Amino acid sequence: MTVNKKDVLLSLRDLEISFGEGKNKFVAVQDVNFDIYRGETFSLVGESGSGKTTIGRAILGINPTSNGTITFNGTQINKKLSHHQEQDVSRKIQMIFQDPSASLNERATIDYIISEGLYNFNLFDSEEDRLQKVTQIIEEVGLLPEHLYRYPHEFSGGQRQRIGIARALIMQPELVVADEPISALDVSIRAQVLNLLKKFQRESNLTYLFIAHDLSVVHFISDRIAVIRNGRILELAETEELFNNPLHPYTQALLSAVPIPDPKLAREKKLLVYDPKMHDYSVDKPSFVEVKPGHFIYANAPEEEHYRQLLDEQAQGVN
Amino acid sequence: MAKKNAAVAAEAIKPKAVAKDEDFVLVSLDKKATEIIDTPKYSYWKSVWKTFFANPVTIFMLVLMIIILLMSYIQPMFSGYSLLDVKGVNDFGARYNWPSAKYWFGTDADGKSLFDAVWAGAKTSISIGVIASVIVTVVGVIVGAFWGVSKKIDRIMLEIYNVISNVPMTLIVIVLSYTFGNGFWNLIFAMTVTSWLGTAYFIRVQVMIMRDREYNIASRTLGTPTRRMIFRNILPYLTSVIVTQVSQLLPSFISIEVFLSFLGVGLSSNVPSLGRLISQYSPYMTSYPYLFWLPVLVLALITVSLYIVGQNLADASDPRTHM
Repeated sequence: MTVNKKDVLLSLRDLEISFGEGKNKFVAVQDVNFDIYRGETFSLVGESGSGKTTIGRAILGINPTSNGTITFNGTQINKKLSHHQEQDVSRKIQMIFQDPSASLNERATIDYIISEGLYNFNLFDSEEDRLQKVTQIIEEVGLLPEHLYRYPHEFSGGQRQRIGIARALIMQPELVVADEPISALDVSIRAQVLNLLKKFQRESNLTYLFIAHDLSVVHFISDRIAVIRNGRILELAETEELFNNPLHPYTQALLSAVPIPDPKLAREKKLLVYDPKMHDYSVDKPSFVEVKPGHFIYANAPEEEHYRQLLDEQAQGVN
Repeated sequence: MAKKNAAVAAEAIKPKAVAKDEDFVLVSLDKKATEIIDTPKYSYWKSVWKTFFANPVTIFMLVLMIIILLMSYIQPMFSGYSLLDVKGVNDFGARYNWPSAKYWFGTDADGKSLFDAVWAGAKTSISIGVIASVIVTVVGVIVGAFWGVSKKIDRIMLEIYNVISNVPMTLIVIVLSYTFGNGFWNLIFAMTVTSWLGTAYFIRVQVMIMRDREYNIASRTLGTPTRRMIFRNILPYLTSVIVTQVSQLLPSFISIEVFLSFLGVGLSSNVPSLGRLISQYSPYMTSYPYLFWLPVLVLALITVSLYIVGQNLADASDPRTHM
């Protein structure tokens, strides 16, 4: 996929998200810096509780941010916006939710669920126009116009997720935050939904922020990957670079945990365990540094030196 | 003759030619066509009524409810019952008759037919209960819904609620009834002026439970305004809770009326009501039990039938029950 590197769609700078105040303050996410380029798929991977979803929801304005900036299309969006700007942003950033059964209104027809955004922004000229738009999108996600007058409980998990995708994409967004869109689905229909997402990306140059914990899925769909742990981004690189040269011990541990569908190979696999105590950050404070073009890592000065050395050795080994 | 017929029939079913494998063509399954047949367009309200009337208990209770309503609003027009009528008090034959073919519900100390008294009383009691419940529910649900979603309203309303809920409701009603005097509408005003706060608080809690469900967050990301969220996303889920609330309010208003009639405030002394009948006849619970129990029975039937019809209507409004 060709990505124009210059065109930054979304940019997060020193983002901090905390819940509660004073003594009960809990910092869920801190020092998050990354750019998402137009047309790419950017993945956030990490264990549960690492803050992936929190970041995704902050971009949509559901979670308030306590520090830092979120810039979309050159405008800072995590502050008070004018009504017009707010409308514009909330139309252009859409979300696909994790649990397709919890994220659909059980008391509304599919027709209403998909048209909800159209009603809110008056994105249709007449009733026929609306119906035509809804019919078109429901066919594009592989459902039938006959399904429009049914209720969510009459659909399977995969079909519901398609409805969730249809309602986000009918808004013609620029950025779609996909929050673990396939983790609640049956393995047999995961591929269908992923392919559907890829199809829409090809057709309308969509940008995805893909939040996941399943590395094989992330490998398949993303252009760049950020690894997040305890609210901090530890490593960020292009997909192939990250899978070939994982530098941070946590990334290495994550990759070593990917199951191998061959029992013989799996038996020889060595599981790495990550222990955060291995870093000595008491004297030398770490920061997010670029060790190779496009490859960022959270490290202090000695570690950075060590990582650079590793990369050099690998480069020599390849040559 | 029969033999010949059988032979003809045998001839008819004898195969003309033997079918071979190549005579058959494999037709591929048209998945789309089967889906279309499987998903006919359906109407929501039609399905609601179908589910509602599918339950024989509901139909029975609905019929009972209609009979009670018709009786209480039509029968008093013909009976000419008056609470102050005492012309039978000296006619010993007319007094304290047990229920019979002539006096269906018997007669009381004044020789008045209890049957007439019950329906005249039911008319007032149902009117009070229904009107007060409707006012309290409509105001309470609307205020409670906005109270639940808006933090700003929550801060103000909580203070108001804390102050007013500390004053006993009976006290407010009695004071107001004394100030405004007796009368039907004064009583309704006194009963509803603060009690909607209780319903609003109850709805607030329910709305807060629903508010942060994922489908509501999804609506927010689609830019849905608060008002549409309340009416399309939250209140439809609360119908059965609201109906339950109404069916609790209804008897509670009737019993407040009973209590006030007993104290001599509330309704004017010439207006019959079930509450007045029950308190008036409670001394006869052992001597002439029908005088006490028949009005109680009618009151119970009103409440139970309204409750069951309402509950089943709420259940039928849930599309998940339609299949």
